[in-house]
Amino acid sequence: MESPTQESPAIPPEWLEEFEAAARRPLETRLRYAFIHTYKPILDDEPFRAFSSTEEYRRWCETNLPDWLGYGRV
Amino acid sequence: MAAFDYRQAREIRDVFGSCHVRYLFLGKSGAILLGYPDTTQDADVFVERSPQNGEALVRALRQLGFALTEEQAGEINRGKDFVQLKNGPFDLDLIFAPDGIERFDDAWSRRVEVEGFPVCHIDDIIASKAATNRQKDRESLPRLRSFREYWLKHRP
Repeated sequence: MESPTQESPAIPPEWLEEFEAAARRPLETRLRYAFIHTYKPILDDEPFRAFSSTEEYRRWCETNLPDWLGYGRV
Repeated sequence: MAAFDYRQAREIRDVFGSCHVRYLFLGKSGAILLGYPDTTQDADVFVERSPQNGEALVRALRQLGFALTEEQAGEINRGKDFVQLKNGPFDLDLIFAPDGIERFDDAWSRRVEVEGFPVCHIDDIIASKAATNRQKDRESLPRLRSFREYWLKHRP
């Protein structure tokens, strides 16, 4: 849980501009810009997967997915 | 498969609501509902794990058009920790035990409603992303934390 007492870093100006621009858009527009679909190898090849634990899912991602997808832990 | 869109988000909200599913948008999709400008590929929902909620969830998913076999419905009913659905009108991740959030009720008590969408508080979204320790989440954290500062000052 993030703590409100943690030191607040300054917001970089370019990000601040983006946050303000997003705040001016209605939700429908924000969602239209936000969701994209690209094919993710292996991950998208099964219609249903269920994992008994989140740890099992993380390990499955690390073992089966290409590194460049970014699902591996640091 | 087309990208998830506003109409589908509304369908989740409306069908989950009518089936009385207890859930929260989590992850980047949750942050986007709060106003965070970024892109993502699928919707993540944090679902309360209980037999009653599992049954409601299966009913809602079938209404939305997810083609669940009895075996798959059973896995959702039993509350597997993580379920990835790509057998419906859009991709959906069901998360019953997200990293970084202890209990559903805690997140529920902190939830934010955005046009009727129940969304995890930005602090829970960040806590969950930080706890995964994945490369893709780690890269997104500085910008998400900046958004948190902005959102806390400007939230409606």
